[in-house]
Amino acid sequence: MIRQLIGWASLLLLLGTSTLAWSQNISVSGTVLEGDMPLPGVSVTVKGSYSGTATDLDGEFSLTLESGQILVFSYIGYLRKELKVMDTVTDLKVLLDPDVAGLEEAVVIGYGNQQRSKISGAVTTVDIKAATSVPVLRTEQALQGRAAGVQVTQNSGQPGSEQTIRIRGLGSINNSDPLFIVDGIPSGGIDYLNPGDIESISILKDAASTAIYGARGSNGVVLITTKKGSRNSKASLTYDSYVGTQEPWKFMSLLNAEEYAVLMNESRAAAGLPALSGLRDPASLGDGTDWQKELFQRAPMTNHSVLYTNGTATSSSAMGVSHFGQDGIIGGEKGRFERTTFRVNSEQQAGDRFRVGQNVNFTHIERNALAENNEFVTPVVRALNIDPVTPVNNEDGTFAYTNYIDSDIVNPLNQVAQTFDTWTTNRFVGNVFGEVDVLHNLTFRSSVNVDLSLGSQTIFRPAYDLALFPGDPNRPATEFNEVNSLVRAENKWSSWQWENTLTYNKEFKNEDKLQIIAGYSALEQLYTTVSASRDSLVSNDPEFAYLSNSLNVGPQVPRASDGITETAWVGQFVRTSYDIGNEWSLMGTLRYDGSSRFGLNNRFGLFPSLSVAWNLTERPWFDEKAWIDFVKVRGSWGRNGNAEIGDYAYNPLIVNGINYTFGSEQAQTIGSGPVAIANPDLKWETGEQVNVGLDADFLEGRWNVIFDLYEKNTLDMLAYVPNPATAGLEPGPSNVASARNRGAELAIGYQGGEGDFTYNFNGNISAYQNQVTDLGAPVDSLNQPLYTGNVFGAGDFVAVTDIGLPIASFYGFETDGIFQTDAAAAASAQANAVAGDVIFVDQNDDNVIDNEDKVVIGNPHPDFTYGFTAGANWKNFDVNLFLQGSHGNDLYRGMFRYDLNTTNLPTSSLARWTGEGTSNEMPRLTHSDLNQNNRVSDLFVEDGSYLRVKSLMVGYTLPRSLMDRVGIAKFRIYASANNLFTFTQYSGLDPEIGTRGTLEIGIDRGFYPSPRIYNLGINVTF
Amino acid sequence: MNQTTTWMACMTCAILLVAATGCSRDFLDRDPYIGSSAGNFYQTPEDAEAATIACYAPLQVEISAPGSHFRWFFGDIVSDDSDKGGSGDTDAPDLLEFENFLGDPSSGIVLGEWQAAYKGITYCNIALENVPGIAMDELQKAAYLGEAKFLRAYWYFNLVTTFGEVPLVTKTLAPSEYAQSKAPVADIWAQVEADLVEAAADLPFKSGYNFNQRGRATRGAANALLAKAYLYQKKWAQCRAACEEVIGSNEYQLAADYGSIFTLGGENGPGSIWEIQYANDSGGNWGAQFWSEGSYTNVFTRARGPFQGYGFNLPTQDFVDEFETWEEEQGPGNIVNKVDPRLGYTVYQLGQVASDWGELTEEAIGAPHPYYARKYFNPSAEQAPFGDPNPNGASNDRVIRFAEVYLMHAEACYEMGDASTALFSLQEVRDRAGVPELNANLSGVILRDAIWHERRVELGLEGHRFFDVVRQGRGAELFGEQGFVEGVHEVFPIPTAEITLSNGSLTQNPGY
Repeated sequence: MIRQLIGWASLLLLLGTSTLAWSQNISVSGTVLEGDMPLPGVSVTVKGSYSGTATDLDGEFSLTLESGQILVFSYIGYLRKELKVMDTVTDLKVLLDPDVAGLEEAVVIGYGNQQRSKISGAVTTVDIKAATSVPVLRTEQALQGRAAGVQVTQNSGQPGSEQTIRIRGLGSINNSDPLFIVDGIPSGGIDYLNPGDIESISILKDAASTAIYGARGSNGVVLITTKKGSRNSKASLTYDSYVGTQEPWKFMSLLNAEEYAVLMNESRAAAGLPALSGLRDPASLGDGTDWQKELFQRAPMTNHSVLYTNGTATSSSAMGVSHFGQDGIIGGEKGRFERTTFRVNSEQQAGDRFRVGQNVNFTHIERNALAENNEFVTPVVRALNIDPVTPVNNEDGTFAYTNYIDSDIVNPLNQVAQTFDTWTTNRFVGNVFGEVDVLHNLTFRSSVNVDLSLGSQTIFRPAYDLALFPGDPNRPATEFNEVNSLVRAENKWSSWQWENTLTYNKEFKNEDKLQIIAGYSALEQLYTTVSASRDSLVSNDPEFAYLSNSLNVGPQVPRASDGITETAWVGQFVRTSYDIGNEWSLMGTLRYDGSSRFGLNNRFGLFPSLSVAWNLTERPWFDEKAWIDFVKVRGSWGRNGNAEIGDYAYNPLIVNGINYTFGSEQAQTIGSGPVAIANPDLKWETGEQVNVGLDADFLEGRWNVIFDLYEKNTLDMLAYVPNPATAGLEPGPSNVASARNRGAELAIGYQGGEGDFTYNFNGNISAYQNQVTDLGAPVDSLNQPLYTGNVFGAGDFVAVTDIGLPIASFYGFETDGIFQTDAAAAASAQANAVAGDVIFVDQNDDNVIDNEDKVVIGNPHPDFTYGFTAGANWKNFDVNLFLQGSHGNDLYRGMFRYDLNTTNLPTSSLARWTGEGTSNEMPRLTHSDLNQNNRVSDLFVEDGSYLRVKSLMVGYTLPRSLMDRVGIAKFRIYASANNLFTFTQYSGLDPEIGTRGTLEIGIDRGFYPSPRIYNLGINVTF
Repeated sequence: MNQTTTWMACMTCAILLVAATGCSRDFLDRDPYIGSSAGNFYQTPEDAEAATIACYAPLQVEISAPGSHFRWFFGDIVSDDSDKGGSGDTDAPDLLEFENFLGDPSSGIVLGEWQAAYKGITYCNIALENVPGIAMDELQKAAYLGEAKFLRAYWYFNLVTTFGEVPLVTKTLAPSEYAQSKAPVADIWAQVEADLVEAAADLPFKSGYNFNQRGRATRGAANALLAKAYLYQKKWAQCRAACEEVIGSNEYQLAADYGSIFTLGGENGPGSIWEIQYANDSGGNWGAQFWSEGSYTNVFTRARGPFQGYGFNLPTQDFVDEFETWEEEQGPGNIVNKVDPRLGYTVYQLGQVASDWGELTEEAIGAPHPYYARKYFNPSAEQAPFGDPNPNGASNDRVIRFAEVYLMHAEACYEMGDASTALFSLQEVRDRAGVPELNANLSGVILRDAIWHERRVELGLEGHRFFDVVRQGRGAELFGEQGFVEGVHEVFPIPTAEITLSNGSLTQNPGY
């Protein structure tokens, strides 16, 4: 590797010193205008040469060139213009027309840009200006509802929680996360970005677009570029800020204390048990405690972001700093998330043919987190399940505990108070690059990219005791902790990448264009972690939570452990695009990828793709249809890979840690051996996708339509084909399973109005069907469906991934009402049922209700998802509305701990069966539920469709005349609201429920809901 | 185009190609830093020991991904000694089905048991295949191999008594051999005997290990398990001989105080022949117990509520009534009602104080059960000081005790017609317990019943009862009311998943 570095360096030097000779003939100067308005910053270049300049603030330029050469005028948002110049001119007037439909807009694609009108793959760009005009908490959020085919779901409403991005369905049963590339740097997640720093987001959806990312492209690629400033632009300083308040917007309807007591007494009586002593007089209990109200609170959030950009004729730069802070609507500061970012991007011309630059970002994240989204230890699930009889506090102000529920359900407010769990992340992401024009049409680029993330975790568990008096034996086990303890962990993710590309551009006499990009990329990723824990700290104050403050130097051994994994990648690629005039665009890509993750028998893979676009408007007969501006049809095919298969997965590892303890001291003795069966054939998962699409613009570019159809087959999907136990070890992963996603996407945009009043709307809708097509067993009967999503309240898995079904379908018992009489129950297949119990359908008519009777009871995948934005400007006012929704997806209501008998219940339980004819929906209540009424069944599956007013904003820009006096270019104030309204039938706290891993979708385990947010903000440009 | 630049362009391309192909293969070779790979292991004496220790690790597995498999599930709950318990009937409902002899072959309980056994057997096979080639002290090597053989025999003993005919695997299998069919019961017993005979020859005595190695397989453990294998096959003479090997070794004596056996201090005590070892271990994790050292038995058997348990394995009235009561005259006219003291050490009753947890009351527990299993109801002081307490019990599982060797000896002698020796051994156990002397002329069925009674109370709630009753041919007689059907329920069903995975090579046991 070192030798290569030296080779590259000397090459760069050689190129820099070589000289080229150009003759000069004529000089041209003039002005570039739109109508009568001068346009500054327009790029003026001589076609086929390095010469070029840009217009100044008055739109003027001057340049020397050879007679007969062609001048090219280009400027973002305007149609490009070419002029052949024969003689010296001094007052050339060049008029540029605005590009209303954005046909000439340069769209960021892998390793380059492409003109929108020439794109042959399926690439969606997010209107980042619109997306970030309202407060965006995380970059992922900017994608939600704004790009067809991209499904973004929150995994929790807690500040700083991850969001899941799925491009075109679920690409794999293992890992369906897309690849993120920020300024050419592959990034593990994009949570470190300040949304305000982002210049553009492109989403590569089809295999032809992502093939250049080879073995890592099959789940789609999110390409992000950050703001870099542009040459020949005035210095500009912008300050964006908002302050907001967040609040819960919905509570579940739960029993009050009186209702709770009535139902519990009834439930115990049904099991032959006496009423619990505190519940014998329900009427005296009144409303009791509303735990949801006690738990949730208003919480503030703030954002400050400063960005400075500047450009000279030979350089551009952008510098930014931002700070974002958000408290949780549970626990306030206990759920606080703070993100501080620093960014410097710059690029300079160094001599005629060299350019150098860097993009550097540093982010500091501080996050306090409360447990979320499980049914055991989260404040939400505890608030939903704890009885309403217990007060939050005792009379002396200490936290109370419940006498009615044991196990996991304890006082959630005490839990919040006793949680000290902090993540601190320091992350550096940056690159340094150099470009040299080897020839005027051959450019070499080399870039060294680094992503270094240091994450420190501290979990301090203080000593506490809710006992009413010392040693109170009745306090629940989980309501005291006698010895405080501390875990500290340090994690480091680091990766470096070195990429070299050669780009060759050739324009032929007949206006055909050829571009070839060839490149080589090497990437190394390293993850290390060290973790240590001690107990008996000297102080119960979390500020002094350091391991060395432990007083326990005695028999307890300080526990320490570490871990390390390493991955290496190399890739070589070439992409050729050829435009036949303006009518046809062809593109072909090949990438040859190798990774240390792949087994020795399959170290390298070849990933090809082809795509073609045909611009119908170039055909003569289209000229007659004046209202049609542009119609293009596209088609593509490609194959790529998903390499998220884990490190060392193919390797026959001897694991140390198959331990045993001996002797009176129970000393751990190390045992070693293999754990899984090795697989030297292990390789990437292959994605193969066919895409056809249509792009069209109508009525002077005011209407804009994009439509896509695709079929994506994931082959070689990793599955663990189970072996009989006699094989002894765990099965290793093998590339045997497959899945299919088929879908359609439609996006429509409109821009209208003129002068003082303009408006626009954009809508998109996407649908996919997802199905597992193979699980890899040699014989069908040996296929083992994957059961996932164990819900404790039901005591079973809720989801199944099986051949012919959508991934992670809900799976359980179909119900058929309630037994109205004991006789009906006795005559049924349910041996233990009595009147009031749920009737489960005996699907196979074998007169026994068992696992064989389980069927698919719901689909967590939506029929379609959609987004809609509408914006309008009138004079200095602007309004923006953003709606987003999902339709036809099911959710599983798994937040109630029926296994504990005495938890609180939703008010729907009041309509329970209490005698013949009283209910055919809600079973009786009983502490002795022999029929397992709460097992996984369709009774807990709800329609999860929703439509959400994601944001609504009203802004006002202060008059320019006023601002000029104080030297401010622009001053805008706005008010906005996020999640203002949510329309849904779902009974839980939030219908927008994300995933846990890949195979658990839409299971509500007491979901931390996203807040409703009101913001006031300003945008100032100096 | 200028020549220099053309040359440059060509050079650039050339270098790109070199870069692309040059060192990428080496660059991609990444081996893990933690742990070894199969190629460089099994070389040193340390590797031999680590491979041997790995054979023990599966012993600790009680809860695994497919399900739980405590020895007391089948041994006690399915028998007439105890009921399932838990929070109610919906807590581990498949166990309730087994208790009622309605067990579902697809239940995780049988699958968990089956998988743990074969995982244990696999590590034994790996050690037995790889350790012999290691250059090291031959005596030590033989001892390591003896440990692996003892453990393999232990697993097959469990399998054959639980499932009857099962696949017999004594080497690492190739993928084409994974699907195995059942071997006859006689072949499995033969393997158990052969392994134990060889293990007994090569293993050190208990006294040959220092106190920090207690828990390792010993010559005494091999002989005791061998005696048990003979007992189950009614090979009385061999059983008697094996018992006498143990008794005559003078390595063991009955702990003076029965109550001390089930305390932390009593672990690996004088009468302990072999225990599965557990340690307080934070980081115990539901479903991943293979990697941790703690036991769930403690938390499962402690009462619910403030006793921080799940209240499983609740002793039945029938079991409590099995303990002898008698009247004892203490001084003139002072007649005291006495009960077998072992009852108090085996069963907690409501109203009693459970060590440092406090008084067992229905109010505190929130359930009306009168009895709780005491032997693994550990004091709160023994709880892990750290993290989630639930899976971190430290109580060793007392698998074979010296008292059982006496009782096996008694039974074998009785069956061989030597009533007086039988009575002598039986009386050893009774004397330690502090129950009245038996009539010295006891013989015939009455003596046999006395031995059987003694097994039930001496070894109560230690996972023996169901297997004893089946072995004694009394399943239908004693468990008939629970639903036991003769010819079916002597063994448990083969796990459905295993039958499926074997693609028909395995067949279900009759009646399931």
